[in-house]
Amino acid sequence: MTTGSAEQLDTERVDAGAGDSREPDASRRRQEWWVPVVTYSVTLFALVTLNFLLPRLMPGDPIDSLFASGSPNYVYDEQTRAALAAYYGLDQPLLSQYGTYLQGLLTGDLGYSIAGNEPVGALIAGQLPWTLLLMGTATALSTAVGILAGVHGGWRRGRPVDRNMLVAFIFLLTMPAFLLAVLAVFVFAVTLGWVPLSGAQTPFASFGPVATVADISYHLLMPAIVLAIGLSSYQYLLTRAGVVGELGADYLVLGRAKGLTERRLKYRYGARNALLPVVSQAAMQLGTAVTGAVLVERVFAYPGIGNTMVEAIPSLDYPVVQGCFLMFTVLVLSANLVADLLYRWLDPRTTA
Amino acid sequence: MTRARPAPDPLVRVGPVNAVLRSGMALAGLAIIAVLIGVALFAPLLAPYDPTVPSGPSLASPSAAHLLGTSEIGADVLSGLIWGTRESLLVAVPAAALAVTVGAVVGTGAGMLGGRAGQVTARVLDGFLALPMLPLIILLAAFAGQSPPVLAVIVALALWAPTARILRAQTLTLRQRGFLAVARGLGGGRGYLMRRHLVPALAPVIVAAFVNATALAFMLHASLAFLGIGDPTGVAWGMIINRALEQSGIYTGGGLTWLVLPAGTAIAVAVLGFSLLGVGLESATNPRWRRET
Repeated sequence: MTTGSAEQLDTERVDAGAGDSREPDASRRRQEWWVPVVTYSVTLFALVTLNFLLPRLMPGDPIDSLFASGSPNYVYDEQTRAALAAYYGLDQPLLSQYGTYLQGLLTGDLGYSIAGNEPVGALIAGQLPWTLLLMGTATALSTAVGILAGVHGGWRRGRPVDRNMLVAFIFLLTMPAFLLAVLAVFVFAVTLGWVPLSGAQTPFASFGPVATVADISYHLLMPAIVLAIGLSSYQYLLTRAGVVGELGADYLVLGRAKGLTERRLKYRYGARNALLPVVSQAAMQLGTAVTGAVLVERVFAYPGIGNTMVEAIPSLDYPVVQGCFLMFTVLVLSANLVADLLYRWLDPRTTA
Repeated sequence: MTRARPAPDPLVRVGPVNAVLRSGMALAGLAIIAVLIGVALFAPLLAPYDPTVPSGPSLASPSAAHLLGTSEIGADVLSGLIWGTRESLLVAVPAAALAVTVGAVVGTGAGMLGGRAGQVTARVLDGFLALPMLPLIILLAAFAGQSPPVLAVIVALALWAPTARILRAQTLTLRQRGFLAVARGLGGGRGYLMRRHLVPALAPVIVAAFVNATALAFMLHASLAFLGIGDPTGVAWGMIINRALEQSGIYTGGGLTWLVLPAGTAIAVAVLGFSLLGVGLESATNPRWRRET
């Protein structure tokens, strides 16, 4: 599945074959360390502002959109409405509302969920760990599989094993994540009964610590694998392109002439040099991973923030939708920043 | 004299039409797309029933009267799939067209500008590309509405940045090639360079970007509908699956085979069709790829 972007990936593949501009984006390498810091800070700020403006750009006032008529949160009582308007500071000018909003964000105030009857911050805090667990496990899995398969395929470029893997991974890339997830539920949970249907834990059960970990892993297995399948295609294609770009490099010819084993050449020499772009792409992919996670959480009713965000839509629980969106954004942008900085540190050419 | 033809350049010489004819993958993709368009165009003739009103018992299994059974309200599933082709194309294609238009203008603009302004645009693109797209789309859809035209605009908003990035990179490489420098040296203005040299050289890239964007738009639109975002009574493929999964016992009652699998297959085949054409176009128009794979 994964909406991230075939295009994004394709440019990397094109670049990977292009001699001296082998890095995903050569200009990125030459940046000062503060450039990504500024880029992602400004992006985050812009989205926070969008989040603030959206309810205010809608016809009516934020109270209207907060308690849209027809929604279960609708407030009929005029007096309560007035009290809420005062509570949200709607009698203040826009700029001071904005200031209050930013101040609230800094103290973790994401608003209040009427439908859930609890602060959005608390709601998200309870569910973020599940999303992180799912995405973390899937990313680790997909990286391991994608890199191993990519090195193997790239090293044997054009042989049947490479052709077959290439077709299989490109096919997986075009499969929407939710479709894979529905099929997985049907085959492995319903028909075979190997894994649980949904959720992250057995409800109302109290286990010892070991059994709890086992129970959580048991529930995590299928969603993580489904999410990892989509992601591994990206890792695979990038790694493969990287390795193909290294084939025939002088240092490999020399190594072979020195009598190094094929295995050593493949993993210690070729793969190592091909992996740098994969590192920087791992974070850019996180946006894609989030898209997959939302869909997979939905199918498996996994109690993460993606599922919460989708469930908040029919009840028009806007503060929850906005809070989840901000959380995802902070997550993805900070991971990108870390990857950009890490990349500079990993690549000796950038510090030279 | 400034009218001299540009030096032979593989990007220019191999037009998209020739490229498609040479690539098996692209031809396969093109065949799938032709079928999709045909089904969408002739939906009123092909569909045996009106997909929005009951025409049989609820959740009936496939029979001679209803080849793919009926839905939870007793509507014909096959007719839903046929009309859904039109509904899905009518969101995905305009969304991709809009995204590629914006992306092409921003991308070539940033590439031509160069210097500080170009750098700033590139960083804005970096930031935008990093965003979690599906949550952003959900947020916008929650506030701006979920009718097909609104969804198309929102999906386009999520798709323009990758195109802009590719076109900026392509424009930058083109700028360094000889023929542009010569034309500029002979007094060609910025507008002239764009019209006469840049656009013809970029056209194949733009076509490929459009095809790829359509594949992604299909996937995004299906995913949104699957999450219940869109016209709740519509027949978008994802929405058919969404409504089916809300029926209790869908996994055990067998309804999966005629309610979910055909719609799922339709989505996968449509995305595959556009992806195949996209990959085929790119590998045929980009000489680097020919060497590489």
